[in-house]
Amino acid sequence: MGPLIPNGILTDEWNIIIAVLIGLAFGFILEASGFSSSRKLAGVFYGYDFAVLKVFFTAAVVSVIGLYYMDYLGWIEMGMLYVHPTYVWAAIIGGAIMGVGFVAGGFCPGTSLCAVAIGKLDAWIYVFGIMIGVFVFSEAYNVFEGLYNGSFLGNITLVDSFDIPASWIIFGVTVIALAAFFVSDIVRKRIKKVFY
Amino acid sequence: MDKASENNKHVYWNPYFGGFLLGLLIIFTFYMTGRGLGASGAMKSSVVTLVDKVSHEHTVNNGYYSKFVQGDESPMNTWLVFESLGVLAGAFISGSLSGRIGFRVQHSPKITSRRRLVFALTGGVLFGLGAQIARGCTSGAALSGMAVLSTGGFITMLAIFGTAYLFAYFFRKNWI
Amino acid sequence: MINRKLAKILANRYVILASLLFIAALGLLVLPGYKKNERVTAEDLLAQVVNPERYMTSDELAEKIIAKDPSILLIDLRSENEYNEYTMPGAFNIPLDQILDPESEGYLNQDQYDIVLFSNQNLTADQAWILLTRKGYKNLHVLDGGINGWYNTILNPLKPTENMPKEAFDRYDFRLAAAMYFGVGGETLQDKDAEEEGSRKLVVPVMKKKKRKPEGGC
Repeated sequence: MGPLIPNGILTDEWNIIIAVLIGLAFGFILEASGFSSSRKLAGVFYGYDFAVLKVFFTAAVVSVIGLYYMDYLGWIEMGMLYVHPTYVWAAIIGGAIMGVGFVAGGFCPGTSLCAVAIGKLDAWIYVFGIMIGVFVFSEAYNVFEGLYNGSFLGNITLVDSFDIPASWIIFGVTVIALAAFFVSDIVRKRIKKVFY
Repeated sequence: MDKASENNKHVYWNPYFGGFLLGLLIIFTFYMTGRGLGASGAMKSSVVTLVDKVSHEHTVNNGYYSKFVQGDESPMNTWLVFESLGVLAGAFISGSLSGRIGFRVQHSPKITSRRRLVFALTGGVLFGLGAQIARGCTSGAALSGMAVLSTGGFITMLAIFGTAYLFAYFFRKNWI
Repeated sequence: MINRKLAKILANRYVILASLLFIAALGLLVLPGYKKNERVTAEDLLAQVVNPERYMTSDELAEKIIAKDPSILLIDLRSENEYNEYTMPGAFNIPLDQILDPESEGYLNQDQYDIVLFSNQNLTADQAWILLTRKGYKNLHVLDGGINGWYNTILNPLKPTENMPKEAFDRYDFRLAAAMYFGVGGETLQDKDAEEEGSRKLVVPVMKKKKRKPEGGC
């Protein structure tokens, strides 16, 4: 069965149509959840708005549970799915740089695109900045190459890393997410409201 | 409901509802295409295309650009570019339905919009750089990675949010 | 009354939703374990094993080859040396130990041809048949009796005795004609067949099922 396009059940031409449709839904959901507002996004770091945490964790937990149920029912082949490769130091250092960029700029690439669409000028500048960042990386590729290609562990999952069954990991992630939702609501009540 | 959103343009969906729909969308994306969502890939393609237009020789010789220019095919002809066009359209639809369209700079009343723009540019450059090093941004690496329990996805997610919390103190004036 | 009840439920809606998520995650945990790669259960396999259709007799095969049936794909499971020495007209050589190789998949995993597996006798072909059926491949057949059976029935048929029924004689006639077609007077089998092979090289397009690794990344 699935995934449909890599398994040749749908032809490649569909790929583009589906890409646009998925993008439409993605943009709509992000914008309607308030991700086009950098002040709402940044709220997660100062405790006055936890929308990012809630949307992000809910999406992650729902998708991972859903995918594993579909795998169980034989509707989708987990082995055919793209698993983001693990380059330990590249992920840590790249993630750290992105973290600083996130709190400084208040967007991530996906949300900045949404903000661009509704006319936020800071998002236009932000996207321009991302393109400069990509340009800097590419021009200085020789400097980053060692980091970029180093400490490669393959396309591994947590199941491979910790050697515990996927269902336990999913259960753990779900519990952590629910706990995070609970704590975030407590924190938000204690922190001075910020209107934006 | 329409009235409420008219009066307050910041009435958004319940985050859990948005998250649930986003989760379903990720499942659908994996089911159809076997890959996750993404966003920064489109910007990378744009940069590659621009540089390619200026100097084709340079892109072929550069170790990073050359991965994305193959033959006659335009680097823009990738899945993520089409997806990002969809994102722009989808966000525009949602924004116009609730009346959030309009050119403006959003910033905290305590800072000037000039300062906001400078920080937006800095943040963008850093995010662009980091996303290339980690091979993906919050949507491509962290969100889609977590959906398939990718170790790299979890590390990236923890690194992004961990560092952001660490540095939040230094940028507090911009936001609160 | 109803409204108050509804209000009570709504007040707890996050708790309810959280429990739903929790139960869903718990559900994955308590789902009975199962073997992932078991695409064909033992019962299914048995049903297919006892199905006589999985065998193709030499006569049926000879008929199809003579009729130039394009849907037949012969797979020789013996070693390369044996294959080079003698094989069926138009057969491909995939030794048994290589049938699960990715290169072989293009030939074996498809639904356009009727695949006929053969070796010297039935055993190797039967083993291959079970392995491939287990992989979920379709249209698999075993040449009953293998090459030896082919030789004994088609190329060098036994003359029926007087007291046998008419069908036996008909079959004998057909086999003689077939042997003629395959260019045989028993002894000259080797070189004649080499010639035969040269003239009839089947070109099978490799129908690799379009399967590619999805790429991803941001």
